[in-house]
This record gives sequence, structure tokens and C-alpha cells, in this order.
Amino acid sequence: MLAYLLLLVPMPSLGGFLLLALDPYRLDRRAVQAAGLAAGCAPLLVIGPLAALHLTGAIGDQVAPIFFINVGNFEVALAMGLDAVSAVAALTVAFVAACVMIYALDYMSYAGTPDLRRFFALMNLFVAGMLSMVLAADSITFFLGWELMGLCSFFLISYNMTSPRAFAAGQKAFLITRIADAALLAGLLLLFLEAGSVRLTELIPAGTVAEPVRGSIIAALLLIGALGKSAQVPFHTWLPTAMAGPTPVSALLHSATMVAAGAVLLARFAPVIEAYPVVAGATAVAGATTALFGAASAVAQTDVKRLLAYSSISQIGYMVAAVGVGAPAVAMAHFVVHAAFKSLLFMAAGVMSHAGGGSTTIDSLRGAARATPIAFICYAAGAASLAGLPFVTAGWWSKEAILASAVVSGPLGAAVWAVALAAAVLTGVYAFRPVLVAAATPATPRRRCREHPLASGPLIVLALLALAGGLAVAPMTTLMGGHPPHPAHWVEIVGAVAALAGLAGSVAVVFVPTLAARVRGARKLRAGLQFDARYYALLVRPYRRLVRRLSGREGAWVDRLGRPPDGATADPVGQATVALGLWLRRVVLTPFSPDRMDIAWMRGAAGIGRAAERGRNLQTGRVRDYALALAVGLAALLILGWGMTWR
Amino acid sequence: MALTLQILLPFFGGFAALLAPRLAGLSERWTTIAVMALTLIVLLLAVVSGDDGRWLAFTRADWAPSFGIQVLLAMDGLSAALLAVSAGLGMICVFISWHVTHRSPLFHAAICWTVAASNGVFLSFDLLILAFFWELMIVPAFLLIALWGHGDREAAAIKFLVFNAVAGLGLLAAVFWMGATSDPITFDAFELARDERSHTAQVLLLLGFAVAFMVKLPVPPFHAWLPDAHTNAPTAGSILLAGLLLKTGAYGLFRFPPLLFPEGLVTLAPWGMALGAFGVVYGAVLACGQTDAKRLVAYTSVAHMSIVLMGVCGGVHFALMGAGVEMIAHAFSSSALFLLIGALQHRTGTRDLRELGGLQKTAPAFATSFALFFAAALAMPGTANFLGEALVITGMFQVNWVLAAIALVSLVVSVVYATRLIGGIVFGEPKPAVQGAHDLYRHELWPIAVLGLCTLLFGLFPQALISVLRPAVEAALTPLLFVQP
Repeated sequence: MLAYLLLLVPMPSLGGFLLLALDPYRLDRRAVQAAGLAAGCAPLLVIGPLAALHLTGAIGDQVAPIFFINVGNFEVALAMGLDAVSAVAALTVAFVAACVMIYALDYMSYAGTPDLRRFFALMNLFVAGMLSMVLAADSITFFLGWELMGLCSFFLISYNMTSPRAFAAGQKAFLITRIADAALLAGLLLLFLEAGSVRLTELIPAGTVAEPVRGSIIAALLLIGALGKSAQVPFHTWLPTAMAGPTPVSALLHSATMVAAGAVLLARFAPVIEAYPVVAGATAVAGATTALFGAASAVAQTDVKRLLAYSSISQIGYMVAAVGVGAPAVAMAHFVVHAAFKSLLFMAAGVMSHAGGGSTTIDSLRGAARATPIAFICYAAGAASLAGLPFVTAGWWSKEAILASAVVSGPLGAAVWAVALAAAVLTGVYAFRPVLVAAATPATPRRRCREHPLASGPLIVLALLALAGGLAVAPMTTLMGGHPPHPAHWVEIVGAVAALAGLAGSVAVVFVPTLAARVRGARKLRAGLQFDARYYALLVRPYRRLVRRLSGREGAWVDRLGRPPDGATADPVGQATVALGLWLRRVVLTPFSPDRMDIAWMRGAAGIGRAAERGRNLQTGRVRDYALALAVGLAALLILGWGMTWR
Repeated sequence: MALTLQILLPFFGGFAALLAPRLAGLSERWTTIAVMALTLIVLLLAVVSGDDGRWLAFTRADWAPSFGIQVLLAMDGLSAALLAVSAGLGMICVFISWHVTHRSPLFHAAICWTVAASNGVFLSFDLLILAFFWELMIVPAFLLIALWGHGDREAAAIKFLVFNAVAGLGLLAAVFWMGATSDPITFDAFELARDERSHTAQVLLLLGFAVAFMVKLPVPPFHAWLPDAHTNAPTAGSILLAGLLLKTGAYGLFRFPPLLFPEGLVTLAPWGMALGAFGVVYGAVLACGQTDAKRLVAYTSVAHMSIVLMGVCGGVHFALMGAGVEMIAHAFSSSALFLLIGALQHRTGTRDLRELGGLQKTAPAFATSFALFFAAALAMPGTANFLGEALVITGMFQVNWVLAAIALVSLVVSVVYATRLIGGIVFGEPKPAVQGAHDLYRHELWPIAVLGLCTLLFGLFPQALISVLRPAVEAALTPLLFVQP
């Protein structure tokens, strides 16, 4: 019976979405805030006890069927399930969502943000989607939640609907993730055909024993799906631009939960990935490459939100690499820790930049330690966890576990370890840069700003988790399947040294003028090695050209055949059909046009007419002509009579 | 009797709508609504009291026995679903055409006749009667475009007429051939299905049928009439085109080739799937380039109906089921999009995406509705459109991976055109044309709500739709199941 409570988990958020989207009661601003907050926090109240019971071992794995679909040749069962991975993931999502919702209550009311209703409605829909994805026990519910997240991500990135930039960012994010989603869908459908079932517990074993080529393709498709959603190289370009969304959106979707969903996917399907060494290797390489690339790009950022975006790319790279080296439980542990410190970093940065006038550049944070001390301290705690300062931060424990798992997994693992270690040093460099800048004294001293408890409350809670959560990493990993055997201690020592070296590097980058200038000058790195420009040149522009060539110049006036007047083609295939029809008409009609039978008839008629015309000449109106005719006629009759009586 | 009424009620209802204002002083609008409601009720009764076997209801009566012509109507779940859609859309058409005053009785009569003729297609199994309704369907739709359309409406109406009438000749010729070679002469599809035919004859006859159906569907290269017809038709005309007329083509392909020419279908199905795959990409790419909102949706229809063609030719359970679901889903979602764009054009006088924008500020309910059907156009899971496409793609994976990959491309490109549509209309600062645009009126809101609810309900709880379509799908797979009662 307890299992059926699982179905209730996403329900409050879904209800909140419906209430706010349809708005039957014309709620006022306060009511909207209350409803949005209540709906966003309620899932935690349901999943919290359930997950606690499960993780303490009081209840076993649960499956709650939703309903069955009979497709004729077999039955499809939709269901939600609770196991260690889904319990941990759902608890994390619900918890971070509650924190962000509380924070948003204060943050989104700053500038009298318009359309709060839309914000809370979409945030709740997202929470419902993400929760149903992590709790799904079948591939249909899983994909439903997965796509719902993408849709909400689009609408939330372009939340500022009047800004063309925000819209373009949302469109880009949606398109790139959809490419990966199409691959994921293909993978899930192939798995389904392989297993004849949609239940994950049957899909995954079937995926591991598939025929090698087929199985590798399936595993690769799943991997692509994860890479796209998680903004991993080469799909990463959407995440930095997605920072056009409001800060709570970045904190919840584009760092802590949705972006990391790829890691959850990989952890869930880890047996399938591991069954095919080539794909597992590709996973590890993709993750490690992304970790290094993201960290290097983050070092060169001048905008704190973009810095954190590249940081998310890099950190999720660690998770993906962990799955690749065969440690999905460790990846999930890092997912949890990352969710805590990354949402914290975003929210703290949001408070600091708000107090500083709204600009999100790192330079504008100068003096924030004085202006918003709580947010600053929380940010510093989050940065320490991100950098993985040894022993005192949760980030160190989970990152160490990943590095250790890489080392013990063979020669490729050693390479992954080396790359990940380099990324760890860079992580320290970029993580502390905003902290050091914020701690510095500005030219004009700033006054202390009031920090609203609704904003600082979640920050403090998350900061404590980001530091002390390390205690939970080991038991959590054990619950979710354990981690590989631990290597020698030198690995941990090297990891700790890496984090400290990063801290030193950060100090150098901020305070040594030549180094600071070099970082400022690294334009290529700041633009993420210009992947965007390349994609534009290689994919977007040719596609636009193709569209323009096929559909004619945009908005050109179209004539009756669908042709724009300047001769550019529009819909060439359709036009060809019309042209063929017209040609056929000409060919068929030419022999009959003009219609020869008609001409013959008309000629005959004209002949009769002309004859009649001529006949009119007989009618002269002169008596002598008529008398002559009479005489001739009479004579003719007489001759005829005489002739007939002749014997 | 109930089946005959499905055709006769709207047919005579059309005359009633035409004459009621003059003779009885009744409103032609409410007459039409009453006729459609009555048709729906009769359909409901027929379904509820239907048999459990292959057919829910069946009618057979001689018409001209010496020529072998019968009234032979049969309804299974697929036909019932399409009949319900047609009467429902007929009713919606009245509500959203409340502003039409020019020759209003004839307008409503044309709506009724379109419904009557397409109902005839959805029910007839006497091929001559089928061909008759097939041609009849063109007339009221032609009138709707030519008399109440916008822009270059005569040209669009003539293009529509020529394409469909010429294609109908293929059907007619094939039907005559089959009738003439049968002994004793008959046009009964079940009887004709039993006749032995050479492979060549099957292929040729199937080509005749397929041309008629594929032009109506429409699949490239036969689609040229659709964008013009949609763009220049009045809103009700667009809805009937998208919701009914296109579905008759899909229905015909779904129903008759497997029954009549199973061997010919085996030969031609790969070509059909290839054509469908081409149409999916072509329609989607061209949709990305349109600036006219209705034209954009028209090209998405080309893409989606090409998916139906792929599914129908797939010849596996999933693909056929997907094609059936996609037919119904597309009827809801594209009708709703045409409804919304039509309502917007009525307010702003333009459909040009560059002159529109910022609707979310001036008309929030409008914008929300757009967002919902934006999701449907994207084939978001949870909408019936996703179910249809996913099932077709599953089937394609069983048949040929390349085709499945091409169908997946449409999922990606759909993001481009759908965001273009919603970006041009809903996002941005309110443009001058949109200033002062009234939000949805109540008589527009409830049709949208019904269509949206159907899209979501069938997407989230597909069991009802799947059970309804199942007998037709199984019959299409094993024509032996096509037995008459």
C-alpha cells in the first residue's frame, strides 16, 4: 500500500501547475506565491518520509502500477518505483526544489517581476516532470518526465518573453536537447523491442544481453541522450546561453537537477553501458574531456552565471566519467552533493549581484562580502565544496570517490584520472575567483544590505549540507550499489593537493596582475573554444540556406503557382507537380485547340449562312425581274408538261 | 439505419440550414449545431448498441441490382472515431464562424455537406458509392474556399478542385475496372477482395487507389494544393480540410489496399514508406521557411500525414496503430492551431509572423492555448501526437532502421518550426497589429478546451483510443479478418 504513495509525489506540483496555469479563481499576487510555494514544497513532504524509510531499510523496493495499456499483442504497464537510486535522486530533487521555491519567493519579488503566475506554474510543472522521471519504473513515464523537463526548460529560459535574446537562448537549448532526446527515444524504443516490455527492470537486463552491434548502438543512443541533456561536449553549447533565464531557474533546472538528469539516466542504465566496453570507454572519455573543457572555460569567464554554467558542465562531466569507469553509485553521490552546492552557488550569486545593482559580472561582485555577508559566506562554503577542499567539504568526498574509481578501473581509467585531476586543479582556480573578488575592498565602500530571511534561510541550509554532507557520501554510495575497491592512499593525497593547488592558483589569478590580464585576454577560451560559432557555420547557416532555397525568400509574395516573383524557388516539389500538370494540359489540349470538329461545324454553318446571303440577291423588288422569272418558270412548266405528254 | 443516418442527417441538415432562415425563421447556426449534435447522438447510440464482432454496425441494401450497386455501410472503431471527429469538428466550425454573415445559410449548408460526404467515405464499402462520396466531398469544400476565403481564393479553390478531381479519376477508373471484370457485376469490396487478380493488375489498381488517397493525404509531390487551400480558406474551411478531408485520404490508405490488393501492397509499400520518409523531412523543412502562420501549419500537416503514410505502409502492428492514432491526434491539434490562427487573423487582419508578436501581454488565454498546441505540434509526450509518432517510429524500427531515423529527424525539426510559430506570435513586445486584440471569446474558448482535452486525454490515457482502433489495425494486417458479418 505504501507504494501507492509514490504516485502522490509529483501530484502536488502538477496540481499547482494546473491551478496556476488555468487560474480559475483569478488569484492575486500573494495567493499565487502561496500556491506556488505550497505546491513546490509538498512533494518533499511525501517523498521525504518514503525515502527515509527506504534508505534506513525499513521498507524494501516498491513498485506502484499507474495503469496498463493493452496494445493488442501485449500489455504495457506504466509504473513508478522506489529503489535506492530513485529514492536518493527524488529526495534531492524535491529538497532542492523546495529550497529554490522559498528563495524565489523573495528573489522574484524584487523588481516587481511580471507574471509571477507563469513562473510558479512552470517551476511546478518542471518539478512534477523531474520527479516522475526519477521515480519512473518504466521507459514511458521516464521519457514523459524527461521531455516535460525540456519543455519547461524552454519556457523558463525564455521567461522574459519580450527579450529576443532570451527567446533565442530557449530555442537553442530546446533544439539541442531535442536532438539528443530523439536519440534517447530511439534507444528506449529499441530496448523495448528487445525486451518486449517497458519495465526498466526488464529493459536493462535485456539491453545487456543484446546482440553486440545492436546492443552497442542502443547503449550509444542512450549515451547521446544523456550527453545532450547534461550539456556535455559536443552538446554543451546550450547551457551557457541558457543563463538568460532568471536565477532561480538557473539554480534549479540548469545546474542542480535537470542538467544533471543525464547522469541519473546513465546511472539507471549503467548495466547497459557497461555491457559494451566501447560505449563505456566513450562514456568515460566524454565525461573526462567535458570535465577538463568545462573547467578550463570556466577559468576564463567574466560573468559569474556563465562561470557557474561551465562549472556545471565540468562537474557533470565527472559524473558521466564515473559511470564510464563503472561506478554509477559514485556518480549518483556526486549528483547529490553537486545539487546542493551548485544551487547554493547560483542562489548566493543571485543575492550578491542583486545587491550590487543586478549586474552578474564577477567584477561587480567586488565588496559583496561587506554588503551581503550571509550570502557571501554561503557562497564561499559552496565554492569550497565545488573546489573540493579536503576533508571539510562534501565535494571533496564525492570527487575523491570518482577519482579513486577511475584509478582502479584499468589503463583507460588512469588516463581519465589524470584528466580529471587536471580539471580538479582548474576547478579550484575558477571556484575561488568570485570569492576572492567579492572579499576584496571596492573603490567606493558599499553599505550593508538587508538580506531577507526567505533568501538566506535556504542558503544557510544548503551551505551546511555542502560542507557536512560529506559524511553521507560513503553510506549513500553503499546503498546505491557500492563503489569499487579503494586504491592506495597516495590517490587521496594527490587529490587533496590538487584542490589546494587550485586555491593557490586562484589567488594568483586574482592578485597577480600579469596572470589576471592573461585570463582576461583568453577570449577563445571564454567563448568555450568557439563551438557556437563553428556550429553556426557548419549547421545552422547551411540549414537556413537550405530552407531559404526550398521555401523561397522569406515573405516573398507568392503567385498562383506558389512562385515568388523574383524567380527564387518556393516548394520546388509542389511546383514541379503543378508545372507537370500545366505541361500535360498543354500537350493534351494543343491538338484540340482550336477544336477542329467545332471548326468544321462552324464552317458548315457559315456556308449555309453565305448561301442564304447569296439567295437574298434574288429578291430584287423589281417587277420586270419577277415577270421575267414568272415567264421563265411558266415556259419551263409548259416545256415540262409538253415533254411529259410526249409519246 | 444508424449508419445511413450518419450520412443522411448532415446531408439533409444542410438543406435545412439553407432553407430554415427563409422558411421557418430559424437560425441556420443553431440548425447546423442541432444537426451535428443529433448525428453525434445517433453515432453514440450505434456504438453503444454495437455488435461485439468485427463490425460495430452494418447495413446492406440493394440500390441498382442490375449494375450490382448496393448501399453497403460498415462501421468499426476506426470509422466510429473518425465519424465522431467529423461531427464534433462540424459543430466547432459553427461556433468559430459566428462572425460569418455573407451568405451565411449556404456557408452552414456547405459545412453540413462536407461532413455528410466525408462520413460517406468513412462508412462505404461499396466502391462505387465510395467513389461517389469521394468526388462529392470536393464540392462543398470548393464552395467554402471560393466564396468565403481570403486573398486569391478563386485560384486556390480551383487548384484544390483540379488536384482532387483529377486524382479522384484514378480511384474511379480502378473501381470501374474491378466492377467490370467481376462476375456477376458487383462493387462490394468484400466480394471484390475474393476475386483472383494477377500481380500486375493488383499493382495497377492499387496505383489508381493510391493516387487518389495520396493527393488527399497529401504527401509530396502531390501536396501543392494544400498550402494554398489552407491559406486562403476561411477558418472553418481550414478546420474541415485538416480534420476531415486529409483524414479521408489516410483512412482510404488504411482500409482498402490491405483488403483489396494485399500482394500489390507488398510490392508498393516500400515505395510508399520511402515517399512518406521524404514527405516527413520535406514538409518539416519547408514549414521552417514560412512566414505565413497558416502556411506553416499546412506544411506541418504535410509532414505529419507523411508519417501516417509511413505507418500505413509499414505493415506491422505498431506502425499501423501509430498511423491510426496520429490521424486522430492530428485532427485535434491541427484543427486547434488553424482555429487559433484564424481567430487571430480575424482580430489583427494578418497572419504574417513578422507583423505578429507579443500576444502573451494582450491576450494571455490566447497565448496559453497556443502553448498547449505548440506542445502537441512538437509531439511532446503526454499528447496524442507523441503516441502516434512514437508508435510509427517503433514500427519503423522493426521494418527498417533508416526509415526510423528519418522519422526521428521530424521530431528534431519540429522544434524549429514550432518555436518559430510560437516565437512569432506569442513572444516579443506587442506589435501594432496585436495591440487591442481581444482575448479568446467564450465561443472560441470551449472548442479549444475540448480539442486540448482530447489531445491530452488520448495522450495520457490511450487505452480507449487503442482499443477502438485495434480491430481495424488487425484487419489491415491480416485481411482474412476482414470478413463481413
